[in-house]
Amino acid sequence: MHKISTRLTPFADFNKIRCVEGFERISREYPTYLTDESKLSPEPFDYLFFPCDEAELGAIFREMSARRVKVTIAGARTGLVGGCVPTSGALVSLENFDRILSLCYDDRAGEWRVQTQCAVCLRALNAQSISKNFPDVERCGDQPALQALSRFKQDPASYFYPPDPTEMSASIGGTVATNASGARTFRYGPTRDWVRGIRVMLPNSEILAIPRGKYFASREGEFLINDTGGKCSRVKLPSYRMPQTKNTSGFFSAPQMDLIDLFIGSEGCFGVITEVTVALLKRAEKISIVQFLKSDEQAINLVEALRNEKTIQLDFLEFYSGNALDLLQKRQAQDPKSVDMPAIPAGAGAALFFEFSFEPMADNPDYTALEETIKRCGASITESWAAYENRELQRMKNFRHILPETINAIIAERKKQCPELHKLGTDLAVPNEHLRDMWKGYRDGLDEAGLQWAAFGHIGDNHIHVNILPRDANELHRGLKLYEQFAAMAVEFGGTVSAEHGIGKMKIKFLELMYSPKQIQEMRALKLAFDPGGLLNPGNIFKS
Amino acid sequence: MKIVVCVKQVPEITDVKVNPETGTLLREGVDAILNPFCEYALDHAVRLKSIHRSMEIIAVTMGPPQARSALLRCLELGADSAVLISDRKFAGADTWATALTLAAAIKGAVPDFSLILVGKQAIDGDTAQVGPELAEILSLPQIMYGVEMHLSPNRKRLRAKRETEDGYEVLEARLPAVVSASKGERIRRLPSFRDVLAARRKKLTVITADDLALEEKDLGLQGSYTQVVKVFPPAQKPGGIKFDDLEPEVAARKIAAYLRQEGFV
Repeated sequence: MHKISTRLTPFADFNKIRCVEGFERISREYPTYLTDESKLSPEPFDYLFFPCDEAELGAIFREMSARRVKVTIAGARTGLVGGCVPTSGALVSLENFDRILSLCYDDRAGEWRVQTQCAVCLRALNAQSISKNFPDVERCGDQPALQALSRFKQDPASYFYPPDPTEMSASIGGTVATNASGARTFRYGPTRDWVRGIRVMLPNSEILAIPRGKYFASREGEFLINDTGGKCSRVKLPSYRMPQTKNTSGFFSAPQMDLIDLFIGSEGCFGVITEVTVALLKRAEKISIVQFLKSDEQAINLVEALRNEKTIQLDFLEFYSGNALDLLQKRQAQDPKSVDMPAIPAGAGAALFFEFSFEPMADNPDYTALEETIKRCGASITESWAAYENRELQRMKNFRHILPETINAIIAERKKQCPELHKLGTDLAVPNEHLRDMWKGYRDGLDEAGLQWAAFGHIGDNHIHVNILPRDANELHRGLKLYEQFAAMAVEFGGTVSAEHGIGKMKIKFLELMYSPKQIQEMRALKLAFDPGGLLNPGNIFKS
Repeated sequence: MKIVVCVKQVPEITDVKVNPETGTLLREGVDAILNPFCEYALDHAVRLKSIHRSMEIIAVTMGPPQARSALLRCLELGADSAVLISDRKFAGADTWATALTLAAAIKGAVPDFSLILVGKQAIDGDTAQVGPELAEILSLPQIMYGVEMHLSPNRKRLRAKRETEDGYEVLEARLPAVVSASKGERIRRLPSFRDVLAARRKKLTVITADDLALEEKDLGLQGSYTQVVKVFPPAQKPGGIKFDDLEPEVAARKIAAYLRQEGFV
């Protein structure tokens, strides 16, 4: 079925919605709403709204449309490409949509699902799923929801929500709108793979309820959307093919695709996701390993060997380049407690960080295949750190987190001398067969340019974050040029210019490297079909 | 030369919660870990072994069957073998009954020990009694609150730096002796994956009440002289004042002003 109808939202009085007016007052009293993790500076905007429900959100849309004021939507403001940084008009913070609504067991899929409002953060969703303690559901008074919760509590297994985009303060709605991914995408896929249903408010303030598996594009690549006023919008999908990598560049498009996938990762261009239903997964005990290696090349050898060793199923496979370890070693020498890890071995020239299932109390665990694979690459499991207790797993995770933190601190220090400086972090991914080529491209380019850099991230998905640390404006300029070259190279290898950060307002020119003007025009037409007045999130994905 | 390290498995408590009706600690959903002070004791043993290579480290714990995981952690971090003293008859033991049981188990399983290391206290009960009681029961010299330990070249004596109320003391004891650790490595060790796998091949012996030269009246609740009447969390201390991002000169002035205001200077 490719036809879907919208529903009306209840009425709310616009004048009763909490609103802060005037850029000066917003800047003075609500400075945290001015930007997100991209640290992009906003253009002056006039209103900051805090709607409490869909009715209020709908009233804001109606009023802003009538006044021809553009609306930017903010979730938890953890994005890295300025998606919720306003360019004008109004900013709508969804932070009051913060309740977990219900649980249900889907018999057909054999899985537990959680229905939640969009502002619930991933940390809360996971903590409540793991502890089976859902205060919002307990208080809701809805009998079916309470019965489902009681059944969930009786289930002896423990459950969690697998997508882990590192920043667990991210809101579930934001992660769906950006199809967030992270280390565990290596095994569990991106957010898209865990979304079972959404409610979306369209710019006309009407609601689409989209369960997964019900609405599919016609053979001609179209959806028909009927609104309550009898108007039918024809939505035509772009004709391009998506890269065979992790990808958040451009709208999702595939033959006879599910309508829900069009909204996932659309960066809020078509509507506002107000509610999400996601699937949970059974938890198993895990062990994390940091395996030290002699060089970056040896690390790539091990990545390929681990991919070929089918008996080892890793949850994630992450990379620390040799120069990334150097930065951490320096930090350890200055302030060992801030790193909270034993000394990084002196001869370590790179490291891989990976995790897999592990039963601590098993009598004779057999990991010969893993040990042999590591040995064949010229390394030894003696040169590793291992952790499986929760507190120790967290320690390993902190160690992964501390690297970008260290880089940010170095840049912040340099900014004092040269305020325009900023970090340049790549987000490119390529198919498996081009990992080595891409790495060679990075190294050759960076070494030739003589720039300071460090690389880390999701090497299992051929998605390494190369961070360039410019020391002055000249280096920043050269770094930007190099980044563009790297992006073009990734596209040439059949990869993507943005694997997980999205396009937002900061990577629009990279999108133009990946798609032809005609394909970008198809994307614009799609945006127009949903949002003819250009109400929502101006400046995201397309130049406004 | 054999070093026995007595350890305890404790709930990982950062925020103590007590069931107001039963007066017991709420342990539901709380991970069980090796008591940090016991880990420090093990640290000292591993450091001594790194100098005196022929040493053997034996980790010993009294606890339910799941306390095996605390022993596995010891084996991963450097213990050569482990002993789990586990029996329903030990349930409800106070510090005296625990120390008596540990002493009997050590005498039976490692009669030729030269040194017993313990953590200064467990983070759940916080009594700091088992170590000293163990020394008394075994009639051994004791040095409590050790932060540094060195063996004499002939390995007959141990010199330990210990914390006191006013600072430090350096004491020496002939071996065998009991020493408790109040500090170890600032950064906790992490085993290698090889250590994790090797730990599972090391010897872990389980001892029950029948293996001990003790009478039933000495065990568990029956052998306990004390009884916990009530458990309650300590009153929260007011937090300190923190000044961030200040130039050293400004920070110094602020601190001086605060100390004056509070009457310290």
